[in-house]
Amino acid sequence: MLSQRPAATRDWLGLKKELPPRRRLLLTILSFVIPITIWAVVSYVPFIWHPLVMITDAGDVDYFTAGEVFPYSDFLEQNKEMKAQGMHPAQGYRVNPVYLPPPHKVAMAFYLAFKTPPRLPNEPWLHESLGHSISTIFWGFFLSSILGVPIGILCGTYRFFSRLQEPFIEFFRYLPAPAFGALCVAILGIDDGPKIAIIFIGTFFQQVLVIGNTVRKVDPALIEAAQTLGAGGFKLLRRVIIPASICDIYTDMRILLGWAWTYLIVAEVVGTMSGITYFINQQARYRNFDNVYAAIAMIGVIGFFSDLFLAWLGTVLFPWKRRERSRSKKSKVPAAGKLWPAAVEPSVTDALGHDKSEIQPNVAS
Amino acid sequence: MSQAELTLPDYRDLAPEVKARFEKIRSRPVILSVRDLEKSFGPATDRHCVFSNISLDIHRREFITVIGASGCGKSTLIRIVAGLDDCTDGVILLDGHGISGPGPDRGMVFQGYTLFPWLTVKRNVMFGLEMRGRSHAACEREARQWLDIVGLSKFEDAYPHELSGGMKQRVAIARALANEPRILIMDEPFAALDAQTRCQMQAYLLQIWKKVDVTILFITHDLDEAAYLSDRILVMGANPGRIMEFIDNPVPRPRSPRQFISPEYLALKNRLEELIHPITTNDEEDKVPVMKMTEAGDEVE
Repeated sequence: MLSQRPAATRDWLGLKKELPPRRRLLLTILSFVIPITIWAVVSYVPFIWHPLVMITDAGDVDYFTAGEVFPYSDFLEQNKEMKAQGMHPAQGYRVNPVYLPPPHKVAMAFYLAFKTPPRLPNEPWLHESLGHSISTIFWGFFLSSILGVPIGILCGTYRFFSRLQEPFIEFFRYLPAPAFGALCVAILGIDDGPKIAIIFIGTFFQQVLVIGNTVRKVDPALIEAAQTLGAGGFKLLRRVIIPASICDIYTDMRILLGWAWTYLIVAEVVGTMSGITYFINQQARYRNFDNVYAAIAMIGVIGFFSDLFLAWLGTVLFPWKRRERSRSKKSKVPAAGKLWPAAVEPSVTDALGHDKSEIQPNVAS
Repeated sequence: MSQAELTLPDYRDLAPEVKARFEKIRSRPVILSVRDLEKSFGPATDRHCVFSNISLDIHRREFITVIGASGCGKSTLIRIVAGLDDCTDGVILLDGHGISGPGPDRGMVFQGYTLFPWLTVKRNVMFGLEMRGRSHAACEREARQWLDIVGLSKFEDAYPHELSGGMKQRVAIARALANEPRILIMDEPFAALDAQTRCQMQAYLLQIWKKVDVTILFITHDLDEAAYLSDRILVMGANPGRIMEFIDNPVPRPRSPRQFISPEYLALKNRLEELIHPITTNDEEDKVPVMKMTEAGDEVE
């Protein structure tokens, strides 16, 4: 072997090993910075796109008016003509279309959105719209889960329930939830009822199937082990099958909650338009596209942070999944490892600088 | 091989103290009795027989190892005894009673540890006790005792993933024994461990077995392991699965690795080799037809 570079430089991209924490954080930030930078470049650098011209002085051009926008190509053509005829050319600066506001405007809209009163007295404030949306999602997802999770677990555990339920559900999940919009309105009225029903239809059937599959993946050896220890019937379900799959069910629920948000936008146009969708539509009608972007971003922020929160909550609820953390943090529990660490692992310090060889238990004694 | 030139004693010749020990064992009550057990599957026209005519008696506190070529049905046999599979014919009596389905009277230790990852070590050991409806305090007390016996008291609050393979298997043994089973069934429990850990675990198991009133039915494919641990060795053959021989182990107890070169041990080992790897007409190696990546003068032997 000629050169033995340290593994860290060889695996710079992280093919096999997790990246160091600082680079991980940097990359996370970068993943947001890159699209925002592209947006900023397109917004602020005139010659990248800017297909329109905001006229400041119409000059002698007939149909230009100060304060309005016209295509850049028309602007050039007209000015060429004006110059040729010795007349006064129009003045203006290049702008992007109104539907692509620059980042700072969206940021301002984001900041001001909660302070700006609605235009019409009976319109909701943004926070009211958001609150309405969140409560719709909550009820839709809550009702779906309260039925879907137990049914899914039963289907995953017992072939009887799986045979009894899943063929129909498999059929039903192909029916698009929005198709039930008119029906839901007819049955449940025009208020929140049909919206919650659509979110329910959109998530429930998926939930049963996904959770059924997750529960089916429980290691049969664990079930057998429990049986030889005397577990059976409902105890087996409660003490083994549910705990063995609960962590994956939780992950499924997080993904399905994302689906629920997708159905929300469809659900909210059913009956009387409400919630964040109403806000977005109104703002688009007023051509306040910065507010539209701010509202969309708001959904993203809520989704992103609620998912982060749920991920964190997961590590609290399921401590046995915290592999690295419990090993390095909990010094009370002697961290285990191989029986002969010195022979197998020449490197004795881990990322946090703990001497691994010290915390190896002496099993041989 | 030079072993053939050695004059080994007959493996059936038992030293007086070994003989006395077997007499003592045989005077104990029979714990597990298997009669004419048969397992086969497939339609009546194309029936595949895993094994048939399996009959054996195991006495209290005996240590039985089961060996056999792959496909002889040794795993199926103990899965049926554990109640995890059904037999197609025959009777299994545990303490004189028939069995139906898995139960806490037959503890099982699997090759894959099968600890519950969501429970701490202590809670894993408590599991079987809790299933029997014992109070939490009693379960905890018992679990602590068992962890003490397998030497893992320090790890009672650790989760299984924090343990090494050998430690996991010790927890699994403690978990099975905490239920005070009549018989402990072990399905190649040390096969996934490295050689050194396996040796340690074998010694551990013998120590535990000495301290606890339990009968052990132990499956392995390692002949040394079978010879080192057992009172009797059940040798099974394949196609169809059957009992070839039920050998009284001539190696005296207490066992130690030093006995690996004793005449009785070698005689036993020799016999096991004969049964498991019967010498065919020619060496198989000579029949490998291809020569590759070697040159003249490269011969290894």
